[in-house]
Amino acid sequence: MKIITMDTTKCVGCRNCELACAYMNSNTSCERTYSKIRVNHYIDEQTLIPLTCLHCEEAWCLNVCPAAAISRDENTGAVIIDSDKCAGCKMCILACPYGNIQFDEKDLVSTKCNLCEGNPRCVGHCVGAALNYEDVESFNERARKKVDRKIMDAIKHQCKSMEVENDK
Amino acid sequence: MTNKKVVKTTCRMCGTLCGIDAHIENNKVVHIEGNKDNILNKGRLCIKGSSAVTWLNHPDRIYKPLKKNDQGEFEEIELEQAMDEIAEKLMELQKKYAPNAIGVWKGEGIDFAQQEELARRWIHSVGSPNYFSNDTQCFASRYLSFNLVYGCWPQADYENSKMIINWGTNAPVSHSYWMQQINEGREKGATLVVIDTRYTDIARQADIYIQIKPGTDAALAWGIMREMIRRDEIDHEFIDNFTVGFEQLKAYAEQFTFEKVYEITGVQGKDITRIVDAIAKARPSVSSWAGTGLEHQTNGVNSIRAVTMIDALSGSVDRKGGMKTPKGLGMRGLTIYDEKPLLELKPVGADRYPVLYERRQECHTLMLMDQIISEKPYPIKGLVMTAANPVLTNANSNKVEEALSKLDLLVVKDLFITETGKMADYILPAASYLEREEIFSNSAKQAAFITGKYIDNGLQTEYELFKGLADRMGSGEYFQWKNDHEVNEWLLEPTGYTVADLKTNPSGFIFGEYEYEKHRVKASNGEKPFNTPSGKVELFSQYLVEKGIKGLDGIPEYHDPSYMETKNTEYPFLLITGARVQKYFHGRYRNIPQLYKSDPHGYLEMHPEDAKELGVNNNDRIKISSRVGSLETYARVMHEKEIMRGVVQHTHGYAKENINRLTYDDVTDPISGFPALKSVQIKIEKID
Repeated sequence: MKIITMDTTKCVGCRNCELACAYMNSNTSCERTYSKIRVNHYIDEQTLIPLTCLHCEEAWCLNVCPAAAISRDENTGAVIIDSDKCAGCKMCILACPYGNIQFDEKDLVSTKCNLCEGNPRCVGHCVGAALNYEDVESFNERARKKVDRKIMDAIKHQCKSMEVENDK
Repeated sequence: MTNKKVVKTTCRMCGTLCGIDAHIENNKVVHIEGNKDNILNKGRLCIKGSSAVTWLNHPDRIYKPLKKNDQGEFEEIELEQAMDEIAEKLMELQKKYAPNAIGVWKGEGIDFAQQEELARRWIHSVGSPNYFSNDTQCFASRYLSFNLVYGCWPQADYENSKMIINWGTNAPVSHSYWMQQINEGREKGATLVVIDTRYTDIARQADIYIQIKPGTDAALAWGIMREMIRRDEIDHEFIDNFTVGFEQLKAYAEQFTFEKVYEITGVQGKDITRIVDAIAKARPSVSSWAGTGLEHQTNGVNSIRAVTMIDALSGSVDRKGGMKTPKGLGMRGLTIYDEKPLLELKPVGADRYPVLYERRQECHTLMLMDQIISEKPYPIKGLVMTAANPVLTNANSNKVEEALSKLDLLVVKDLFITETGKMADYILPAASYLEREEIFSNSAKQAAFITGKYIDNGLQTEYELFKGLADRMGSGEYFQWKNDHEVNEWLLEPTGYTVADLKTNPSGFIFGEYEYEKHRVKASNGEKPFNTPSGKVELFSQYLVEKGIKGLDGIPEYHDPSYMETKNTEYPFLLITGARVQKYFHGRYRNIPQLYKSDPHGYLEMHPEDAKELGVNNNDRIKISSRVGSLETYARVMHEKEIMRGVVQHTHGYAKENINRLTYDDVTDPISGFPALKSVQIKIEKID
């Protein structure tokens, strides 16, 4: 099963993901208010955090919905809100620990990321490759490589200083 | 029956050239996304790329030529009639005044490859040397700078780099896929240094971010070089064998002590130490890039030369992870400068900016405006423009409007009626990038890309425009090919490849494996290692000395930017213009509704303390003025980290808040002739 992964060390906050998501959802505007993915920029901390729905295996929003408007897509595993069934009670919004469900003030229904039927526009527009749509295994592989490089550097560095020591 | 296809082609919403999958149904593009197989952008696209669907299907697009009638209104006419009348009027002007009374102007909206060369070919074929383009405000200065040092247009080898230094350039907004390459390098351990007056998108991931006073980059570069030399963190073997002018460079660098650099740039000595520490670890895999932040200054060329010399001293030239000096595909060119140089007809600006003309054959667009108005040294009466909108994008818009309104004939070819189009006598509808066949080549990746006519709206291509005019004006012999496909086959001939070969891989046809350190091979074969006059990397340029440009030597000296030389109490703020935003490209795409809604007007970015002193809040209406013009715009109060005090920024390309009403056309770099678009002195008033 593929998930959207986010690498905070690569995100520059260009917001192409937000623009694309907003247009995908509204079909009329790239304004951020329509976007289901949000990049938070903490300028004093020099930190950027892009985040959208994680499609939890035990999805509290899905469990709590009294209208049974939230279900899981069989193909993509996405947790999806059926806006025709949504009663606008906002329980899902309260249940989500990540603040990843929005409320559509016009149609008075909850809205969230639906993985664009397996072709998430945010990922396709992430020009710095901070977002990826991938298997957990491939994410882990990349994370491991990054750490391995650091370990390798440390080993090399240590060996070098040992060599210097031995020279004395 | 629906005719559906998905074509792999190249995006031309900006000059970055990402690969796209264009979904076409019944001769209409319905969806665009990144081509995952493309070797450059690997499936990722910025918002402009996918929004092209709306742009290309826009109800305001023009499909019929327009002619302005006596009441100043546009009327539709047939293409043949338009072409006949335009050709006839151009010939009349040449007869009445002189062959050089007409010119052609290529805008960024088309490309830099054969479309540009077709314009150059046509204007020379009809006997005028006056070719103009957007390049004299973007790109040409960098080209000259790099070319003076390396004898080529280099490319930063970001993916393999151990240290990346970005000066006044913001990859995620301006060259989107470069950000992937930079991140790839960083993932493998590269240090990222960003030097910019503005805390840009890319600065947010920098290991070292340096906020520098506008236009002082060369002083910092000299400070870094002095420290590299002092600590002996330079590549002696490369310097001794492959450069000229090191002794002059070393002597000039001496004066740039930490104290002096701090005084000029506001950058502290400890930051120079941090940068040189990183260079010491990373060399010879240091790659630097400089953007318009540097070239829009009076000392632009020399700043960029100085910056890239850091890479040269570190021995990173054409080394893995350094500055690639690529070999091209070896296509033919379409220009006829050897056959018809027409220098005796005084190309506009060639006298005043000889380096620009000799090395780029670019006439000077700012001097053109003066010349149209004054008719000195000779009158220019007719202009054919394709994909250009100088009313929005050239410095000093008021003068641009005055000049263009004085022309006897202005022809504008575009997809829409632009601000410049409104001033035209004729508007010709343009074919888009999905409606013509062209070749793009990326020498850093040793790859070529071909596009095709995937949609046919019966619109005239660039080739058909110039061939049509040439045929009517008696120079048809230069345009013997039937269409752009035949042109492309001819261009490719010496490479041994054909269009069909390129089509075998529209995601990147690889024509060779990149070879590093070509200068060593060349040297051992007895060839010139670099394509400069000396054959070496030129830290000192004898060529520039011989040009005798006042106040300049062969070393890329630091000179104070114009705003420092003339302190100005009437206009106390320093305006930088031209920082791009994601959604737009220069004057284009404000007519894409979804983008426009997210960014509906121009605004002046300012420091919170400056805003406080002016009594201005976010989104307040303000009036801003320079000595050449004024306009009303909106205030955007930034975080204190994002912009320096006393410095403000306004993006260009908004018709209502056209910032070029404030930019000067008479403060220029003496080598490139580039206007100092990032050194404009202004005042700000709150509108109550």
